[in-house]
Amino acid sequence: MGGVSVEGGGGSKRAVDAEINMIPMIDLLMVTISFLLITAVWSHMSRINADAQVPGPPREVEPTQVEPEKQLHVEMRAPDKFVLIWKQGGTVVSTVDVPRKDNLIVKDGVKNIRFPDLAAKIEAEWKTAGSHRDATDKKFDQAVLHTDNETPYVYIIGVMDAIYQPHRPYTAGGKTEQVPSFNVTFAVN
Amino acid sequence: MTIHEPGRRLMHSVQLKYVQKKVAGGGQRQVAAGLSLTSMIDFLVTIVVFLLITFSASGEIPAAKNVRLPTAENTMDMIDAPIVSIAGQAILVDGAPAGNTRAVEESKRMQRIDELFNILKGKREVWRQLHPGKDFPGVVVLQIDQDVTAVVVKSVFQTSAFAGFPNVSFMVNGASKTPGGTAQ
Repeated sequence: MGGVSVEGGGGSKRAVDAEINMIPMIDLLMVTISFLLITAVWSHMSRINADAQVPGPPREVEPTQVEPEKQLHVEMRAPDKFVLIWKQGGTVVSTVDVPRKDNLIVKDGVKNIRFPDLAAKIEAEWKTAGSHRDATDKKFDQAVLHTDNETPYVYIIGVMDAIYQPHRPYTAGGKTEQVPSFNVTFAVN
Repeated sequence: MTIHEPGRRLMHSVQLKYVQKKVAGGGQRQVAAGLSLTSMIDFLVTIVVFLLITFSASGEIPAAKNVRLPTAENTMDMIDAPIVSIAGQAILVDGAPAGNTRAVEESKRMQRIDELFNILKGKREVWRQLHPGKDFPGVVVLQIDQDVTAVVVKSVFQTSAFAGFPNVSFMVNGASKTPGGTAQ
C-alpha cells in the first residue's frame, strides 16, 4: 500500500491523507494508456488549397480600371515538359520550359509522384518575377494550372505540391509565419 | 579443528545458508527481478501525460472506402468543412450520395453536376440560417481517389465554386519534407 501518513498528532482528528490502493491505480493507468494508444491518429490527413476565383456580387460603383497582375500559368499537357508562362492580362511576359520526368512510385497501391525540378524552377521564377514578396503584403501571386482532361488526379496533386513549394513570410495580427507564395486555381479550358 | 558456533539449520545435515543460496539462484543470476513500484508508476504517468498532450482530434477525418489519397509535402492542417468524396463514379457529400460522375466521364467535357450543386447549395443555406450575420467561409474539402481523371476533378471543383464554396481544399496524405523532394 502506498501513501504517506502526515497525521499531525491531533489525537482524535481525521488523517489528512488517505491511502491509495496501488492495484486499481495501476489498472487505471494501464487502461488509460491503452485507450489513448488505440484512439491515437497515426496517419494525419492534410489538405492542399485551391481558389476557384469566383467573381463577387456586382458593385454599385465600378472600381476604376486597374492594371491586371502577372500570373504564372503552369502547363502540364505535354508528356515531356512543363511550360511556365508569366502572363499579364493577355500578354505573355516570359516563357520557360522545364523537362518533365514522371518518377511515379507505387507503394501498397498508393501512387506518389514528385516533380522536384519543377518545384525548384517555380521557386526561382517566383524569386525573380513574383509581385507579392513582402511580409506585409496581403495579396498573393496567382498560379493557374492547365491540364488536359485525361490526367490522373495524382499528377495534378504532384504539380500543385510543386507550385506550393516556394514560401514567403506573411504578417497577420502581429505574427509572422511562412506561407505558400502562390494561390492556385485551375484553368477552365 | 576449530569450534564453530552452530548456525541456523534446515535439517541436521543441511545448513540454512545452502537453501538460501539455492533459492537465490545458486550463485547464478536470479530469474525474477525486483520492480520498483515508484519508478513504474512514474513511467506510466509520464506515458499517460505524453499521450494526453499529443492527443489531437484534428486530421481524424476518416477516408471514404475505396479512396486512395495521393501524398503531398506542402500541405496545411485539415479544417472542419463539408467533405465531397469521389470513389469510382459515386459522389458523396459527408457520406450521403450526391450524384455520380458518369455523365462527365462519358462526355469527357467539364460540366456542372446538378445533384452535387443542389446539395452543396442547401448546405450553404443551412449554414447561413444557423450563423446569421456571419461571413460564410465557403470551404469544401474534396476527397478524391488518385486515379480519378482531371475532367471529373475540374467539374467537381467548378460545381463546388458555383454552389458558393470557392475555397476548395484537396485532401491528401501529409508527407514529411525531404531534401531530395521524394515524400516518405
